[in-house]
Amino acid sequence: MIRGKWQLKDHEAERRLFNRRLTVAGVFVMLLFSALVIKLVNLQVYQHEYFSARSDGNRLHSQYVPPARGLIFDSSGRLLADNQPIFNLTVVREQVEDMDALLETLAGMISLTEDDIAQFERRLQRNRVPYTSVPLRYVLSEEEKSRIAVISHKLDGVAIEPQFVRQYPYAALTAHSVGYVSEINREELESLDEAQRENYGGTNHIGKTGIERTYEDLLHGTVGYELVEKNNRGQVTRRLDRTDPVAGKNLTLHLDGRLQEAAHAALGEFRGAVVAIDPATGGILAMVSKPGFDPNLFVTGISSSDYGRLVTDQINTPLFDRSTNPYPPGSTVKPFIGLGGLHHELVDYDYTIQDPGYFRLPGVSYRWGDYTLRTAIGGGHGVTDLQKAIYQSCDTFFYELGHRMGIDTMHSFLSQFGFGDNFALDVGYARTGVLPSRDWKRATRGEPWYPGDTINSSIGQGYMWATPLQLATATAIMANKGKVVEPRLLKAIDGEPYEPLIENPRPDVVIEDADYWRYVQESMTMVVHRPYSDTFRDYGTAFEAIAMADRDMSYTMAGKSGTAQVVGISQEILSSEDIEVSDLNKDHALFVSFAPAMHESIEPQIAVAVFVENGEHGSSVAGPIAKAVTDTYLLEILGLDFAAMEPGDEAEPQDRLVSQIDE
Amino acid sequence: MNSQDFVRQSTGLQVPHRRLSSFWRTVHIDPPLLVGVMLLCAFGLFVLNSASDGNPGDMRRQMTGMGMGLIVMIIVSQFNVHFYRSWAPTLYAGGLAVLVLVLFVGVETNGARSWLDLPGLPSFQPSELMKFVVPLMVAWYLASRPLPPRFKHLFWSAIMVLVPAGLIVIQNDTGTAIMVAMSGIFVVLLAGIRWSIVLSGLFALLLASPAWYIFLAQEHQKNRILTFFDPYRDPTGAGYNIIQSQIAIGSGGIYGKGYGNGAQSHLDFIPESNTDFILAVLAEEFGLLGVLFLIALYLFVLIRGFSIAWSSRDMFSRLLAGSITLTFFFYVFVNMAMVSGLLPVIGLPLPLISRGGTAVVTLFIGFGLLMSIQTHARSRVV
Repeated sequence: MIRGKWQLKDHEAERRLFNRRLTVAGVFVMLLFSALVIKLVNLQVYQHEYFSARSDGNRLHSQYVPPARGLIFDSSGRLLADNQPIFNLTVVREQVEDMDALLETLAGMISLTEDDIAQFERRLQRNRVPYTSVPLRYVLSEEEKSRIAVISHKLDGVAIEPQFVRQYPYAALTAHSVGYVSEINREELESLDEAQRENYGGTNHIGKTGIERTYEDLLHGTVGYELVEKNNRGQVTRRLDRTDPVAGKNLTLHLDGRLQEAAHAALGEFRGAVVAIDPATGGILAMVSKPGFDPNLFVTGISSSDYGRLVTDQINTPLFDRSTNPYPPGSTVKPFIGLGGLHHELVDYDYTIQDPGYFRLPGVSYRWGDYTLRTAIGGGHGVTDLQKAIYQSCDTFFYELGHRMGIDTMHSFLSQFGFGDNFALDVGYARTGVLPSRDWKRATRGEPWYPGDTINSSIGQGYMWATPLQLATATAIMANKGKVVEPRLLKAIDGEPYEPLIENPRPDVVIEDADYWRYVQESMTMVVHRPYSDTFRDYGTAFEAIAMADRDMSYTMAGKSGTAQVVGISQEILSSEDIEVSDLNKDHALFVSFAPAMHESIEPQIAVAVFVENGEHGSSVAGPIAKAVTDTYLLEILGLDFAAMEPGDEAEPQDRLVSQIDE
Repeated sequence: MNSQDFVRQSTGLQVPHRRLSSFWRTVHIDPPLLVGVMLLCAFGLFVLNSASDGNPGDMRRQMTGMGMGLIVMIIVSQFNVHFYRSWAPTLYAGGLAVLVLVLFVGVETNGARSWLDLPGLPSFQPSELMKFVVPLMVAWYLASRPLPPRFKHLFWSAIMVLVPAGLIVIQNDTGTAIMVAMSGIFVVLLAGIRWSIVLSGLFALLLASPAWYIFLAQEHQKNRILTFFDPYRDPTGAGYNIIQSQIAIGSGGIYGKGYGNGAQSHLDFIPESNTDFILAVLAEEFGLLGVLFLIALYLFVLIRGFSIAWSSRDMFSRLLAGSITLTFFFYVFVNMAMVSGLLPVIGLPLPLISRGGTAVVTLFIGFGLLMSIQTHARSRVV
């Protein structure tokens, strides 16, 4: 049957038919290949440049290289702010398909609190350059690092990145003065101009307080760039080009770590502040506010529970910088007002009053009592001249002097010492306090100035408020006999001594008779050194606490105590139950001092202001703190040996002093 | 090139160097085809080495597949093609039976239930085998009938093609179904089906395609069509492959970036760079010249296939040889056109270049049949 069909076929015709078809097929093959080649030529020849650029765009990424932040040293080269390497877990949002799933996976492998995730989401909200990595968790432990590393190839967009972050070795001791850096927030980012924002492209942190903020521009440095090749998963495979960043400047401060420690220790359990200034340079040697807080917590994002603890502590208020916030200065202003009395010829060395223990304005029945006598047996200081009024802190004398001086004269005289103003060059955040005047009262209270207001002001109460920094500044000017030095923290940049350009230098305080300086300084040394005698109330208020407590005291110290009434405790605090209310009502204790005073060969080296919150007694509580700080500076840090300085044998110790200061 | 080139080549080979050609005929190997295939294999391994970053596992598997393919090819070529012809209906019936079997006991891989994992046998895809069983069957059927085929014969031919293709579609392996159908359709086309029928068939397809798109096409198929017309409608999703592959090809330029320097492939921007999209790797690293070289190698094999078909002594051999050659071309073209953006993305490998064992063995069965046609036909005549 098959054979029969074969016979029906025309084999030759069929072969020709097949060959025709095969030829057509061949033509089709060539046509289709030609189309393919045309397409390829189009892609590879005509569009080559376009696709080359696309290919480079795929793999080449320019990324920021953040500069190393400048270090901060104390005046002896101890690190106050260091950079430490840590490892962070970062995420590139654009490369993550399912963020929730990723976070869930990661939470199973490393510790990831809700707080971490909340902060991470806040970071994502910021206007960041696309395809930059955003930190999810800071400071991975070694174990967490290895756990992530094992499965990192499955986690697109997730990377472990090393980073240098700030570390503050002195922690709470320098929390306010040096300040801290923390993550840049959206507002800060938006407040930067275009060029600055570019410069912060690779930076996560910015100075928030203190020196870190004041000298942010110097510390930050200039961003670098890096051209890298990245694969499909965003991992860097090669580095192709690099512009190195310029590290920030290293700053040396006048602060001395040892003095900072000494001041901190001297404050003991008290809340308070200590500011010490070198009268010759205005350099701030110590600036402590206690209690402090650990600034390191802020660097990598403080947890909300830690932050809550710092904010809700309304008694200790650790975030509050007591050294730059104002309090009633109390009797510490008396030497300045006394000096003003001499200058304006309201009193002279022979002027005395008969102190009954109170003061009455003519025609007014109200008595201004002498606070210093409150707990004593009554009566007054008897016959009192200015010197005694200072070393005995006689309120009545100053009531009377202040009344005669008037607020206008008092205001203009005290303002030369920095009251009501911020003389500091680089502590811009310091408050100015209040040096009251008629204008001030009218502007802020809408009330005229009453004579009674002057009485209160003349003993540093009432409207008068001053910061510990201001008190130290004024004391330094007193120690300088009128030469004004603006307080400053920055001593050197990259080891080069820094001399700030002061556009409008404050005029020196010029006194009618230069001997008035000696007179007031001598009065202040009597505060510390005038011993008890048979004469009633004729000793220095701080004699017992300072000179008597240290019989070997080798140098002379000029000081003035102050005890200021507490004003304005909020009702909220007073009504809370767990507080010893009586403690918060206690007076604030203050003490200002400089030393060595009245020395034949050595100018005063340190001016100190001490503020002790609810310390009660300026002389007995704040005085010893000032003494301890001064001791540390003069005897330990400067290494002065006053006992060895015999009169007439001054050359050697002076040389030593000079070399010490040069350090 | 035109048809005269085929004539010239085939006549050139018809002047045999007696002794040498008789040796090759004895071992049933066609030297030009062997050389072409071996060159393709070598070039393929070379490209794969770069595409897989020198992964020794991949290379070993690919070489094993090629070695097995060579052995299978030689075994296949030892039998006279008429032996296969006489077994065609049996093979076809058996093939259909296995396809049905797969529907019940098949193993699912990549969404297609097309693998058979019988105890004692290596797992394989019966649908792969149908790629030469179907043309074998259609050629068997049409070769003994008067050509051009009558309508009745066309009808039965269509049944022979559509039944296995349909079974494979049910396995959810549309790509293979199209290839199996095409291998059968090529036989019918070569058998001299009237152009009017071909054209009306194409016209009908054109009319039916919107209906297919609206009612039958699955979501990913629609996506592929839309992406073909505008890859940038979803550049990180459906369009990603084709965009990245075009970037790779285009950035390769005329001379390429150099062996192992393909940034697109080595930085993993090209998905499936070892398999379906390996042409992008080749084009990126070797440029236009590299792709032209590959096309030349393919053309060499194709021309040899055509020449074997042209010079065959009987219609069955012609139809089979022509179909095998055209199917091979179809593979090559569809993959290259898809990777370069001329056709929508269809999951087909580039023959002998892409990684993948089973497909390689199937190809070598086809080359074995071509060699069988070439060597046995001569010896029988002589």
